Amino acid sequence: MTEKVIEKNKGLVKADFAFWVGLYMDKFYDGFEQKKIMANKCPECGSVFVPPRKICGKCRIKLPIDENWIELGDKGKLINFTRTAYKVSDRRARKSKSLKDYGMVQIEGSDTAIVYPLIDFEENDLKMGTEVKIQWKENPSGGPSDIEGFVKL
Amino acid sequence: MGRQVAITSAGFSEHASKRSDVSMPELVNEAIEDCLTKVPSVELDDIDAFVNGNMPAFEGSNLPELWMTDWMGARNKPLMRITTGGTTGGSVAIGGYYTVTAELPGIDTVLAVAFEQQSQGDTSVGLASVAYGEISILNSLGISYGQLNRLLSGGAAIGVAAYQATNYMSKSKITEEDLARVVVQNRRNAAKTWWAHLKMPDLTIEDVLDTPYIQYPLRYGMVCPASDGAVAMLFTTEEKAKDMCDIPVYVNGVASVANETAVLGYDGSGSAQVDPSAQIGAMKSAELAYSQAGISFPRKEIDYAEVYAPFPNQELMWDEKLGLFEETTAPEMYETGVTARDGELPVNCSGGVNSTNAIGASAMERPAVAALQIMGKASNQVPKTVHTSIGSGWGGSLNFITLMVMSDEPKRKWK
Repeated sequence: MTEKVIEKNKGLVKADFAFWVGLYMDKFYDGFEQKKIMANKCPECGSVFVPPRKICGKCRIKLPIDENWIELGDKGKLINFTRTAYKVSDRRARKSKSLKDYGMVQIEGSDTAIVYPLIDFEENDLKMGTEVKIQWKENPSGGPSDIEGFVKL
Repeated sequence: MGRQVAITSAGFSEHASKRSDVSMPELVNEAIEDCLTKVPSVELDDIDAFVNGNMPAFEGSNLPELWMTDWMGARNKPLMRITTGGTTGGSVAIGGYYTVTAELPGIDTVLAVAFEQQSQGDTSVGLASVAYGEISILNSLGISYGQLNRLLSGGAAIGVAAYQATNYMSKSKITEEDLARVVVQNRRNAAKTWWAHLKMPDLTIEDVLDTPYIQYPLRYGMVCPASDGAVAMLFTTEEKAKDMCDIPVYVNGVASVANETAVLGYDGSGSAQVDPSAQIGAMKSAELAYSQAGISFPRKEIDYAEVYAPFPNQELMWDEKLGLFEETTAPEMYETGVTARDGELPVNCSGGVNSTNAIGASAMERPAVAALQIMGKASNQVPKTVHTSIGSGWGGSLNFITLMVMSDEPKRKWK
């Protein structure tokens, strides 16, 4: 009896993952195309959400999809940060040659924060409360990476 | 024993192969909204604690309960997370039951949520982690990869279910046509259920037998789909339940039993358990839950059953193992219409897991539908009055079984 190998897999097991943004985040990313930050506001407690969401966790009420939308500017302040020697999105070569900074930024007028890279930050600049501004990609396409990161004001 | 627990509502999101229109928390919120619209006096604020569960390995999103806390209305409230493979939903429902029956101070009303958004990730890879876990045990028993005589993870869950099917078929002497008949009943029932995934109102046995094999004897047309969906159930005390809805459904028996896996029996040879259709775990769980509920003659006392069966042979097998029919007689019951919607003992009128399978949610959709059948609010409601119903769950390598027995009367008390 002769053996025959029909298929041989030499690679790693690979699994692809998607991330469905949903109805509210969809409007948020649509705004990116015009370099706009869209937020929604709870009519009861007045909390402003960036990114927008369906339920206000504090009041436990539903925020209707077509109401309470507001447009915010591109300025904000740093409320937390981290410095790392690893790349976040590249699995092949995770070690980064230089240190990378990531920050949680509260957009002016909102009550929540978003996480993005901090661009051209020195160690001394990494302070809570530092004023920052969005650096948009030249040709935004309506996705998360339309924001390249935050720069110092 | 703790206090009596009642189910007052259950809700579903719409199920489909790709719910890419909503994010995972929004999907869960859909089910919660549907659940709470059936009990107008209850708002998110009235819920005291939450139980949440799915299989994070399937989506690749870890700690999803923290992501969706606000979407469940669970901010600053007790929240428990449960994951037990295929039985996740069953365990979440049982978790909801115990959270109420435990009489914890200030906790009367509990919302249990189970979900899966499989289109976000790769379920086969997630399932492989189960199969590979088994392989590592075999390796430690001194069995090398070369000696493995089966395709353990061939076609994901089918790799293990196919052996169960052939075992059952040889015991009950049935043909593929009998398997196809179960599928036809399920898919036609699914067509009448608003939230179901595979709706095929005109499916015939010939159509099913016309599809190619995935692994003998299971054909493409016989296996469950991979769905995105969520389910929510509301548990509360006997007193509060009466204010919330007209017909509260009392939980009178719960069981979760794990048997040794037969997969080890094959390759480990020497293990006691070699027949995956023996299902001692299912028999034990039935024994346990029925004794709690005071059921002595399941066939006579149970009016409706929701049985977790992604593959048709499992539906036949579990009907028998849960005591609904005598051994090897289930195929006959499908032929004579006993299990049909207007039959003597309707089974899986929602279409079952065979038509809709959002894995983490599936085992909770069974007790959820079974409870709604008692309330008279199910999507494909049976014409007769349902007093007692059961909802089962299956998981692991064919060896975890959960069971919930529900009734429109509270549990009989010991005298």
